[in-house]
Amino acid sequence: MATAPIQPADPSEPAAYLEMPPERRAGAKVHAAMLSATIKKVAAEVPFQADVDDFRRVLTAGVK
Amino acid sequence: MAQVKHEDLPMMSGCALGRAIAAGEISSVAATEAALARLDVAHERTHCTIAREGDDALAAAKAVDAARAKGAKLGPLAGVPLAHKDMFDRTGKIASWGAKIHAEKPATSDATVIAKYKAAGAIQIAALHLTEFAFGPTGHNYVLGHARNPWDPTRITGGSSAGTACAVAMGAIPAGLGSDTAGSLRLPAANCGITSIKPTWGRVSRAGAMPLAACLDTLGVIARHVEDLALMLGILAGPDVRDPAASSLPVPDYLAEMAAPVKGLRVGLDAKVAGEAHADVQAMVEAVLAVLGKAGLETRSCQFPDWMTLDHLAQAVQLPDAAAAHAHWLTTRPNDYGPQVRARLEIGHFISGVDHMTALRARGTYLQRTLDQTFKDIDIAILPITADPLPTIAELDVAGSPAVQATLGRVVKFCRPISYLGLPTLTLPIPRSGKQLPGGVQIIGKPYTEGLLFRIGAAYQKLVPPELARPLEH
Repeated sequence: MATAPIQPADPSEPAAYLEMPPERRAGAKVHAAMLSATIKKVAAEVPFQADVDDFRRVLTAGVK
Repeated sequence: MAQVKHEDLPMMSGCALGRAIAAGEISSVAATEAALARLDVAHERTHCTIAREGDDALAAAKAVDAARAKGAKLGPLAGVPLAHKDMFDRTGKIASWGAKIHAEKPATSDATVIAKYKAAGAIQIAALHLTEFAFGPTGHNYVLGHARNPWDPTRITGGSSAGTACAVAMGAIPAGLGSDTAGSLRLPAANCGITSIKPTWGRVSRAGAMPLAACLDTLGVIARHVEDLALMLGILAGPDVRDPAASSLPVPDYLAEMAAPVKGLRVGLDAKVAGEAHADVQAMVEAVLAVLGKAGLETRSCQFPDWMTLDHLAQAVQLPDAAAAHAHWLTTRPNDYGPQVRARLEIGHFISGVDHMTALRARGTYLQRTLDQTFKDIDIAILPITADPLPTIAELDVAGSPAVQATLGRVVKFCRPISYLGLPTLTLPIPRSGKQLPGGVQIIGKPYTEGLLFRIGAAYQKLVPPELARPLEH
């Protein structure tokens, strides 16, 4: 069965440059939104001074 | 001098085989020929081999035998046949990465882990199967073909280090390299009934290894015997100017640490998290806890930070990291990807930079919270590796469907949060009986406590000895 060509996404869409069928694009948006909802809650409790390097510091801090 | 019997080779540890070769009880050539023959059998059953390298391996084995005959000082793995996931640079070769897309030119140097194995005298007999770009937890590979479980070829191996697990489980090699971004050392080891070490993030240099998501990528070893994990991590770990994330902390003598007693050590179980697994998997955890109890460990309760939050944080780190690494190819050669990896890489493009950075900024906070609270009264934690009993290849053949991330998310739900925390884990195969399918659980330590994990793993294997995979008839 021939596959219908994928219509280009609306340029205002996120990742419009990716060639994706509409159902996969919709699924990706839903998944990203789900993660984002959790991360908004995390953002509220992470210290303002938090830094990406904190992870390595904590990883080695307790090593005897 | 006692000679090693060929029928004993499949079950020998790499440590024992290295000692036997050094003592002249078997030549490296004989051990390598036997390993190649067993690898052929394993490949026939599991599709584990990408490149069989018999000529190179036998030439290297002859060189080891010649050096030994001259009385040369040999490394601890001199003449021992190994094979590794096909994602490491090797001088003059192009690693397949399990994909249609790969480097255009042969590597001009060895990955650090390959160089360290060579310096220890090990021989590589093959490059082994992996999920496309090491991005998949089941062993499905829509470019090269799927890996099949050595116990039951209708079932998944787990991924992405599928080929290494199959070859080890079938006794072709005692051990081999894998990588773990969200479970790829743990899932195949558990599903094939063997063991593996995912070290602390940064313990082993990733220089020359194919990246998936550098923030999480960790190299480690899959083996049947915990003593091999201890020996080999000692060889592989250490600082490396080629990988700024490689830790400069001293590398302990893991084999020596392994000998210490385990009585009185405390193992923590988060019943709420473990309770999210299928009842049969929860029974696996209980079975392993019973064995650990016999070994003298005490079970306590513990509580991880909210598990779904950790899992979402891990995804917000992993997906954009992988998407960024593949951004050029995904936009210029999208049709050269298999459907599953393509669909998963696309998702990373929909996660905002703010969310990605928040997940990275929060990582230290969540690790500190885990150490302060989860590990407050315990030495190690225990969790499932798989959420469900061993699925069939057909059941998880989701390719690139819109549900792919949710479906595979259940497969990695007990692994991905631990990767986010960067903690070391050791896979313990369950005490299996009769026609029971294999399985495994993970014990988790504080950062850089691999020696403690090996100590507990060695005590466990005294009660639950390693076994070779064999076809189960149902």
